[in-house]
Amino acid sequence: MKLDPSFIWTAFVKLLSAIPVTLEITFVSVLCGLVIGSITALARIYRIPVLAQLSSGYVTFIRGTPMLTHLLLIYFSLPMLVDGLSSQFGLGWSSARIPMIAFALVSFSITAGAYMSEVVRSGLLAVDRGQMEAALSVGMSTPQALRRIVFPQAFAASLPNLSNSLIGMLHGSTLAFTVSVVDLNAKAQIVASTNWKFFEAYVAAALIFWGLTLLIERATSFIERKINVYNRGGVA
Amino acid sequence: MEYGFDFAYVFKYVPKLLSTLDLTLLIVAGAIATGLIIGLLVALPRLYHVPVLKQLSMVYVSFFRGTPVLIQLFLFYYGLPEILKLVYIDVTRVPVLYFVIFTLGLNAGAFISETIRAAVTAVNRGQVEAAYAVGMTGYQAFTRIILPQALAIAVPVFSNLVIAMLKETSLAFTLGVMEMTGKAQSLGALSQHFLETYISLAIIYLIISLLLERVLLLAERRLQRHMRREQEKRSWFGLRRVPPLNRLTRELNLEKKEVPSYEA
Repeated sequence: MKLDPSFIWTAFVKLLSAIPVTLEITFVSVLCGLVIGSITALARIYRIPVLAQLSSGYVTFIRGTPMLTHLLLIYFSLPMLVDGLSSQFGLGWSSARIPMIAFALVSFSITAGAYMSEVVRSGLLAVDRGQMEAALSVGMSTPQALRRIVFPQAFAASLPNLSNSLIGMLHGSTLAFTVSVVDLNAKAQIVASTNWKFFEAYVAAALIFWGLTLLIERATSFIERKINVYNRGGVA
Repeated sequence: MEYGFDFAYVFKYVPKLLSTLDLTLLIVAGAIATGLIIGLLVALPRLYHVPVLKQLSMVYVSFFRGTPVLIQLFLFYYGLPEILKLVYIDVTRVPVLYFVIFTLGLNAGAFISETIRAAVTAVNRGQVEAAYAVGMTGYQAFTRIILPQALAIAVPVFSNLVIAMLKETSLAFTLGVMEMTGKAQSLGALSQHFLETYISLAIIYLIISLLLERVLLLAERRLQRHMRREQEKRSWFGLRRVPPLNRLTRELNLEKKEVPSYEA
């Protein structure tokens, strides 16, 4: 078998069609993760009795186990849950109708939620306590103060961590091939095995991932400059 | 298919999975050891601003941090034999395990080099100047003054990396290495009790990560002991003395020194 550099380009073009799936998995799981993460982080910061312990347990468990095990656990437990619920309440659902990508989305959202919880928590704790007190003292309600004063600053503080998590999820989305979702990695495998050119196909896949990662890094540093405007001091 | 969830399987499979724990830990240890050597070699040109090597190491780090581990595994597993064939080295008979350790080591090397670089730049510049002022050579200043301090700063990030590596070993099964995840899959396929198998797998990973965290915390305390003036009295049974005020303030100052963390 000879190396065939020109096939890298051929594979590259073929792989482009799988980018939307990878991006969909990445962004949906990060967004859902952000919601889960914010709820659990707030529960832990405000020490809400039962929720706080549950949240810490969730974060510890997820961060202590590989992403692959979450995916496999969801893959085998979600159909049981769905079938059990539908037979209990006669909903007429069937686990066979769940699209494959749903397993990946649910499991990666749960994974991202735990990592996001830590990101959100560290971001919120980075905001000075006086900011919250000042907001409350001018008569804002707690949700208002959180939304208008704390969250924007926390977002600026946690942007680097957020971008790291986003890149982590982009890389983690390659695991989706284990539940037969055709993302970039699975597409590379298909292209590789139909042409019997594994190395070239994976070089193309690696290049695409590298490009996407650099793009996210660039975009983050751009947003970071925009969002930290309030922080620069001086006049005007 | 009738599927009854049986909790007894969870306990039954824990010892069975533990029998492959040594392989998982071997991959972690091998990859981290390789990564430490590579990371140091890659970090040095950037720290000392060596012209061409600096750019090369930047590309290396960018590539390994910019592509998924899984893609790297496939890339090296399929690509390395072909590239080495061009220089007439035959590695087609090398076991898959070595490819996995090598690739994960290269991957860890990129992250470790960033950790080393961040830690070394976090050491106060005055320390090097003082070392030169008392007549140390560059090598002496690095090994005696910079390295011990940098290690103390780098350890928290490093322990994150070790735990991330433990979780990344679960990817080795995709190349057919029979480590814990691979074993769990074959056990599940054998008994059709997938869910129970994966629950026990998750429990084992969780316990090992928690254990690793504790052990690395001990290492962290030991390496950072120069930051406390008086030695803390050793207490084995959790009886802890109240820390004196000056130590508390020193520890608080320590936290201002932030090291960027790279998480998987």
